[in-house]
Amino acid sequence: MTWRAAALLAAGALTLPGWPAPFVGLVVMVCVVLLLVGLDLALAAPLGALTVERAGERAVRLGGTATVTLYLRNASGRPLRARVRDAWVPSAGARPEVPPTRVVHAAPGEVLALPSHLTPTRRGDRPAVALTIRSFGPLGLAFRQWDGRPGTPPWTLRVLPRFEARRHLPERLSRLRVIDGTQVGRGRGPGTEFDALREYVSGDDVRSIDWRASARRAEVLVRTWRPERDRRLICVLDTGRTSAVRVGDEPRLDASIEAALLLSALAGRAGDRVDVLAADVVPRASVAGAERPGQWSRLAHALAPLQPALVETDFRLIAGELLRRHRPRSLVVLLTALEPGALGEGLLPVLPRLAARHRVLVAAAQDPVLVRLTATPPRRPEDAYAAAAAWRTFDERNRLTAALTRHHVTVVDAPADHLAPALADAYLTLKSTAQL
Amino acid sequence: MSARGRRHRIVVPVLAAALLMTITLVTHEIDQPDPTDRGFLSPTVTGDHGGSRLAASLARQGVVVQRETNALRALLATRPGPATLFVPAPELLHPRTVGHLGLLPDGTRLVLVDPPRRVLAAAGLPLRPTGRRWATRAVPPHQLDRSCPLTEVVPATTAAVARQRYVPTGAPDSVDLCYAAGLARLTGTTESVVVGASDPFRNGRIDEWDNLTFATGLLATTGRVVWLDLDGPEPPPPEPTPAPTRPPPERDDGIDEPDQQEDLDSEGNGETAPGARPGGEASGPGARGSSGEPNPLWSAFPPWFWALLLQLALAALLIAIGRARRLGPPNPEPLPVAVPAAETVLGRGRLYQQARARESTARVLRTATLARLARRLHLPTEAPPSTVAATVAARTGDRPEAIHELLYGDAPQTDRGLLELAGELDRVTRAGEPAPTRPLPDAPAPARLPKPRSEGDHR
Repeated sequence: MTWRAAALLAAGALTLPGWPAPFVGLVVMVCVVLLLVGLDLALAAPLGALTVERAGERAVRLGGTATVTLYLRNASGRPLRARVRDAWVPSAGARPEVPPTRVVHAAPGEVLALPSHLTPTRRGDRPAVALTIRSFGPLGLAFRQWDGRPGTPPWTLRVLPRFEARRHLPERLSRLRVIDGTQVGRGRGPGTEFDALREYVSGDDVRSIDWRASARRAEVLVRTWRPERDRRLICVLDTGRTSAVRVGDEPRLDASIEAALLLSALAGRAGDRVDVLAADVVPRASVAGAERPGQWSRLAHALAPLQPALVETDFRLIAGELLRRHRPRSLVVLLTALEPGALGEGLLPVLPRLAARHRVLVAAAQDPVLVRLTATPPRRPEDAYAAAAAWRTFDERNRLTAALTRHHVTVVDAPADHLAPALADAYLTLKSTAQL
Repeated sequence: MSARGRRHRIVVPVLAAALLMTITLVTHEIDQPDPTDRGFLSPTVTGDHGGSRLAASLARQGVVVQRETNALRALLATRPGPATLFVPAPELLHPRTVGHLGLLPDGTRLVLVDPPRRVLAAAGLPLRPTGRRWATRAVPPHQLDRSCPLTEVVPATTAAVARQRYVPTGAPDSVDLCYAAGLARLTGTTESVVVGASDPFRNGRIDEWDNLTFATGLLATTGRVVWLDLDGPEPPPPEPTPAPTRPPPERDDGIDEPDQQEDLDSEGNGETAPGARPGGEASGPGARGSSGEPNPLWSAFPPWFWALLLQLALAALLIAIGRARRLGPPNPEPLPVAVPAAETVLGRGRLYQQARARESTARVLRTATLARLARRLHLPTEAPPSTVAATVAARTGDRPEAIHELLYGDAPQTDRGLLELAGELDRVTRAGEPAPTRPLPDAPAPARLPKPRSEGDHR
């Protein structure tokens, strides 16, 4: 029942002084109100005759707004007066166009469209949790409401990574074209792979004249080179405990995902094969052949629901996976954290086997706070102590980097917002120097 | 005069007055006896508030003093013959017992000490209290216009009687007022005397003025005194008799009806009755509600009021029922980890501070600064301190000794010293630094691409 029933009873109470027998009047009024409530309840539109469907967007980039519409069909013979609450998880940022406090009306057979605008605040899958419908009677005195009737139509909005690093993509692509030798017309690409022979024009490097071919032809020919193509690149995302901490305002995993997305987009254009693997103690996601044009969105969809697990990453498992599934020599990009404890005990023991077959690159997002601690002038004694602690952390990290470098591992350690371009640059450097 | 002196000029007299008032109030509270206390005006108690000296004085005059601790027994003890019933604490009497005071035999004198209004009304005495003094005043018996008719107390020329004053409610001639209306006598078959102060009877005050003469004269007229000495509030009498002064509403319940078959004669052993009766009235006036009498609050308001109240309560209940059903359950969601990555670093910094690890902190800061300077100034790692100091000083413009002291000196002893050291190191590091865009020493050098060899080509 609703406040109206109580208001009716309270209003009736004011007439009591006029009754000859007040207590009889009380009983009569309570009975009348209860009777009205029962009548109203009986006349309310039945919940079982309602059917609900959903339609709308399935995925949205973080920061964007998606619209998911709930279609409520009143299949009963009575008009529906109802309050509808379509509940999503809080981080979905749902704003229903019709707030749950408003009563919607639907004639028999009518279909109501109730759109919700979702502005998610976090990456990942954002499900709709519960649909509650409160069907009022014609007098508004009583309502019907059952949990799970009608059932909540399932819907999950996948929130893709923001991928703000894509603004770095054009610059890296143009650099890649320079390396490729396609942009600077007659300049020779700095690759090592033989591309083609062409006629010498003024300005070409005389060192690249192919004298043997020139001898066979009437004109002077130069060789052109291009970087190696069809190399293999494996992106490994560490989703263990070290990826859960907040770097800036996001988990470290988000920075890793950004970097992996930029790297795979770049490598796809460069003609390399890209595989992506995410694992902690179990493989969480695996996307093969992410370089093909249609596959890139598949990669984003595969990486979007990744959540950090509060476990120690099993690098033995990752190394075994890499050695088992990827036979040819590849560039293994390990996106993790430069933590002496986690890497020293997990990665270093398996690194020799891994580095023997693959080229390994370790990329880690570091907290910008550390840089701030060491770079700002101290104002209080606490600052001096904190700076010393930060220097020690850098020191440990340097030692770890040195240990990794001994295994011919390239280390990219950049603040979280610079990780993606720094990793792309490192990749381009490797590519241009033919170290893949 | 300063503000402090002005404040003293106000505060000191106020404080003194407050202190004086407090002392007065406390002394008065101690001095004035509480009639409901145990042993107040008891013939056997020799304390200040007792009545042993009065009893002794009466005994010296040959008056028989009969002490009774039960009101009904005291009432019975007045029979037969002339006697004086002395009630020092009428407040303790049960209202129903007070009604019995009207049944005293002829020739009895009833002496009530400072009775409250309800006792006066219940006993049927046409008196009502008027003004009450804060302390008792000693007054002569006669008034200006009329003399006191109580000849037995007239020898007491001045007695401390005037505290509570009385005026007659009926005809003024029926009541004799003496001692500035502090004593009132009603004549009739039984003679009732109301005294407005307990001072003349108490041990502590009986020697002042002519109190002893007054008290003894008042009680010794009949030669026998029944002294009602109650320890506390009297329990209700076991069976009420239809006393004329009883208020009519108390008769309308049927529960007490079976009790009325007992009569007054069995009240002699009535003191055992309250204990023998299970529950109910033994616990005093508070237990009256359980005996079935309707709460007078019910009749205080019209019935529609109660019906209205009940209906409003039902409306509130309806609201509660309606609000209790929520529109769908709350929806939970796992939250992400909120630990910042630099948490351990900052925590370690706080640990250093708590441990006062100034020496190691200074060492770490100096080592880091040296490493940065060496990289920037292209110094070899094994360069001697003097060379380093000289090179750095040349860059910053400081004296080489100061730089040497800064980079290789002693560890600071205080936090302030450490802060200064850190600030200086920071300054030296910054000096000559063109633009601190990449202050991070460990960041990888930006991937430098080999320029495409393109001789003679201008894009």
